[in-house]
Amino acid sequence: MTSHLIKTLLVAGSLIASIAAANAQECAKEPVTVGFLPKLDTDPYFQVAQTGAEEAAKEIGGKAIKQAPSQATAEAQIDFINNLVSQKVGVIAISANDANAVAPALRRAAKQGVKVVSYDSDVSTAARSVFLNQAAGDSLAEMMLESMGQMINYDGEFAILSSTPTATNQNAWIDFMKKTMAGDKKFAKMKLVQVAYGQESEQVNQQQALALAQAFPNLKGIIIPAGIGLPAAARAMDQAGLLGKVKLTGLAPATLIKKYIQNGSVQDIWWNVKDLGYLTYYAAQAVAQCKLTGKEGETFEAGRLGSYKVGPKGEVLLGPADIVTPANVEEFKF
Amino acid sequence: MNANSERNPDFVTRFANWDNFLAALTIAVVAYALLGVPNFASVFNISQAVAGISERALIVLPMVLLIIAREIDLSVGSILALTSVIFGLLIQQGAPLLLAIPVTLVAGGICGGFNGLLVTKLGLPSLVVTLGTMALFRGIAYILLGSDSINDFPDSFLDFGIDTVGTSPVPQTILPFLLLAPVFAIALQKMPLGRRIYAIGGSPDAARYSGIRLARTVFGLFVTSGAVCAAAGMVYAARLANARANNAVGIELDVITIALLGGISVFGGRGRLTGVLWALLLVATIRNVLGLLQIGGDAQGTVIGLLLIVSLLASNAAERVFASVRTRYFKVKTGK
Repeated sequence: MTSHLIKTLLVAGSLIASIAAANAQECAKEPVTVGFLPKLDTDPYFQVAQTGAEEAAKEIGGKAIKQAPSQATAEAQIDFINNLVSQKVGVIAISANDANAVAPALRRAAKQGVKVVSYDSDVSTAARSVFLNQAAGDSLAEMMLESMGQMINYDGEFAILSSTPTATNQNAWIDFMKKTMAGDKKFAKMKLVQVAYGQESEQVNQQQALALAQAFPNLKGIIIPAGIGLPAAARAMDQAGLLGKVKLTGLAPATLIKKYIQNGSVQDIWWNVKDLGYLTYYAAQAVAQCKLTGKEGETFEAGRLGSYKVGPKGEVLLGPADIVTPANVEEFKF
Repeated sequence: MNANSERNPDFVTRFANWDNFLAALTIAVVAYALLGVPNFASVFNISQAVAGISERALIVLPMVLLIIAREIDLSVGSILALTSVIFGLLIQQGAPLLLAIPVTLVAGGICGGFNGLLVTKLGLPSLVVTLGTMALFRGIAYILLGSDSINDFPDSFLDFGIDTVGTSPVPQTILPFLLLAPVFAIALQKMPLGRRIYAIGGSPDAARYSGIRLARTVFGLFVTSGAVCAAAGMVYAARLANARANNAVGIELDVITIALLGGISVFGGRGRLTGVLWALLLVATIRNVLGLLQIGGDAQGTVIGLLLIVSLLASNAAERVFASVRTRYFKVKTGK
């Protein structure tokens, strides 16, 4: 009886010891499996990013798996974080639905020996080693203004059709554009006549775009810094026969407005979504091998994209976005 | 007709019922997972899979009672969100846990009471009432907190959201459910209150004429539902370390799915809590296993939906088979 008890205790003890050993922060020597956890399972944006991750996996080995919830909530993502930990992935690459809510689960994952990087949408700094960001905010604003300038020859009235009056990103961009126009002679002849809001709705964006064209007969263009707004406005202007008379630019997946870009009446600021997945995979493997910890000034290699340097707060910028024109539209697969 | 063949249909109904079928199915799935799914059997995985259903497990308890009484509460997710926001605000204002917890439970009870009043005093259908309050309660949560979230909670509270009981794989967040489940099961299946609930669901008119205070019972059920949602709201806040107005969107559908899969009749009056507990375990296991097999959220939803439909079809078909077996071979009730 007692010997049986001792045996059981010994087995239990060795089991706990082996678990503890597995939990220690180890540096991988071989490429590991990277679990990508986007915001939403079926979002085509993340599917395109995933093709980049798979391309990178083919180059340097390891595996890129992707698993995501059917609802874009933090709660759903936490189940998937735990599930990826159970599958013993080496690194979790997450695009967070809520930066703070997923942090405890990510820290628990770290205790189990899983490393964490974020991409596309950051988590709280303490819960990950690096954040792979697609583009810096100011650069996007500058390029939208530049793109509008190109299309209207830096002369005439234009409007902005933003998302909502409270959208933090958009408001920062609009302020930056106003400041740039006031300070840079290149934009002296351009005049911002109104900032309207499309309320993240296709229909409202269509109505607002048409309303702007009617309210300002001399309007030459509209900047639409919201992904859902630009394609909606382009369709409405096309149907009303105003496209071309009023030029459009802003932020949106290039494929959604490809035909309008091709005929020259629309431009767009976008980045190569596939490259974001590619870069994330390289960074994740570097983190797994302890070659990258997120300290400012560290560098790492990312295959065909070249060398990257970690910025403040562990942020890595994919690089400047591009102005999508008829000349380069074929390069943008999303 | 001899005694032996009269016992046989009893035997059939006793063992070939929905609860046992679900139990067998669940055990089969768990056994498959233990043997055939890599990493399923790890302590971490099992404890996380259990923690993941903490809130649903709580809310399904009063939901089952409501559905058996021919009512429904679609506002559970919104009450959860609203109470988690109220709790978060109380903590933010410096209220100690010992004050914030009871106040939050009372707030949940009041939300449930509001539903109950509209249903019992104004005679409105609960489907419509709670469809309305589903938007109303979440709206109030947005008014209170906007789209912000509260993340600062006392350590003891956050530990509750993360830790397990001692060194066991049992997450602490499942404890409120483990305490409440026996209470609900006994109340429903062993006490006069339970018989009244079944009577109301079986035939509200007959129940009223036999002296059951129908309105009071139904009102009580809604208040209970609200208070349990508040408990779930705090469990949720602990587990996710946040309180915000869009917490637990869509949880009501998950909960109702589990209740129906557990054999609770949509038309009221029938079903047992034991079946629901098996359904809970089954859904949690299937979701976990699909996750481990690297199947995404949308496909998981599809599988659970299919399971519900197939199970409803199967239970209907099984009942018909049993009934025809009974009438054809035993002729118990037709007499001689």
